[in-house]
Amino acid sequence: MSATFHQTTVQRCPVHEGAEPSRLGAAVSGGTAPGESREAPVADWVTLDALHRDPFPLYRRLREEAPVHWIPALNRYLVTSYAACHAIEQDEATFSADERESLMKRAMGHSMLRKDNPEHQRDRDSYGKTLRPATIKKHWNGIFEQNYVDCLRRLKKAGPGADFVWDFAAPYAAENLRLVMGFQNATEADMQRWSQTMIDGTGNYADDPDIWAKSERSSAEVDAAIDEMLPYFKDHPDHSLLSGLASLPIPLEAIRANMKMTIGGGLNEPRDVLATTVWALLREPEQLEAVVADPSLHTAAFEESVRWVAPIGMYPRQVARDTVLEGIRLRRGDRVGVAIGAANRDPAVFEDPESFDIMRPKKPHLAFGGGVHFCAGTWVARAQVAQIAMPRIFDDLPGLRLDESSPAVAGGWVFRGMLEMPVAWD
Amino acid sequence: MPNITFVQPTGEAVELEAAEGTSLMRAAVSNGVDGIVGECGGQAMCATCHVYVRPEHADGLSEVTEDEDEMLDCTVAERTERSRLGCQIAVGLEHDGIVVDVPSGQV
Ligand code: FES
Repeated sequence: MSATFHQTTVQRCPVHEGAEPSRLGAAVSGGTAPGESREAPVADWVTLDALHRDPFPLYRRLREEAPVHWIPALNRYLVTSYAACHAIEQDEATFSADERESLMKRAMGHSMLRKDNPEHQRDRDSYGKTLRPATIKKHWNGIFEQNYVDCLRRLKKAGPGADFVWDFAAPYAAENLRLVMGFQNATEADMQRWSQTMIDGTGNYADDPDIWAKSERSSAEVDAAIDEMLPYFKDHPDHSLLSGLASLPIPLEAIRANMKMTIGGGLNEPRDVLATTVWALLREPEQLEAVVADPSLHTAAFEESVRWVAPIGMYPRQVARDTVLEGIRLRRGDRVGVAIGAANRDPAVFEDPESFDIMRPKKPHLAFGGGVHFCAGTWVARAQVAQIAMPRIFDDLPGLRLDESSPAVAGGWVFRGMLEMPVAWD
Repeated sequence: MPNITFVQPTGEAVELEAAEGTSLMRAAVSNGVDGIVGECGGQAMCATCHVYVRPEHADGLSEVTEDEDEMLDCTVAERTERSRLGCQIAVGLEHDGIVVDVPSGQV
């Protein structure tokens, strides 16, 4: 942080209420404040299995004890308080995105998500206007609407008992993403396979050779698809990401890595927020009634859903210089997991945080990340989910309900979403 | 260093000094000014750094770019002709004493 400021009237961010200014200053600037800092407690009771099943009770217990823990099972620190996660997002000089031995780099190449500025910014700028609100309004919304109609037909054909995630949300998100990215030479099923296998690679902490093999196969297929599309778009430009990249002097290696990262995040986020929101509303009849009566509330339902269950629940950072984060000492080279899924349920910021409540007072959540890595697909996700799919699905499927005979299952913590969600309608 | 004042919807004013060349958004966020979120870190991508520039201070500010213009259509509080994104306003010495109003909501 190069700028210095002198504050004449003290007013603090609500997130840091109660924190001493000196301590806050230390956290933000990355300096240490001797005497006020301590080592992170060790949480050896946290297991990968328990996190996968339901991370939220674990997050609650962790947060109550300290904002940062050392988690042996993860071999990294885990940051669970809102204030600490927020401080990391605002300070990319201390918390680098360029993690060493990154599984994501191995699975997808070195994408903008694992670069710091200025390299990150050059890659991000190469995405141009494709994902911005004006292009979405002028160009993508019509396409999303058509895809909605096709996917709804598919869901209806599967009939009651169909799985909302796999018969609707996943193909809808995949087909939207395919066209936004410009993979005219692939199918939505390819997109789903590529996304899942490469994401499995980025989470392959167990170093399973079978997972690497699948991930590498997808990676090669994506390379081939990109190689085929780039020359095509030179002569036939459209609004897609690949088309924009075709005319830029940007290294092929960066294009490949960034496109793979986008296949990963661009599919599961809209898919999972769509399914989670429908699931949550179907369990809360009063809130469902409210959104059906006033479709403008779908925006609030969307934002509450990503607060409640952030589809990307954790991302990694590496400490670039010794620092004190909310009173906890961290050293250069330490690896941390920023658990935004936990931050978004911090009772210091959100009242009754464990409940899904679309009427709760609006506060900034961290589900799209913050700072320079703020999710580039945020507006595309909002458009396809909150503006198009959500308002229509309850109209088009009257009496939509969860299938009582086989209960829905959610899972995951780095990525969290509905794994099974059988539904019925009238 | 230029002096900036942020006036809350309640009328409460926060005055601070910002390093030359920093953005209004950065100055506000670094000082914990309520109501300026700056989610996207200044990429004109989130519209959570919306401010209303007082008309008497509007002169000499950079023009609204196309990116800023489209994002201003996405603000939560009403867009007016005084609306700007704080992240797109670089604070120079010529803006010393600038006063902006913080909107009622950003998210
Ligand atoms: S900080 Fe995001 S638009 Fe200004």
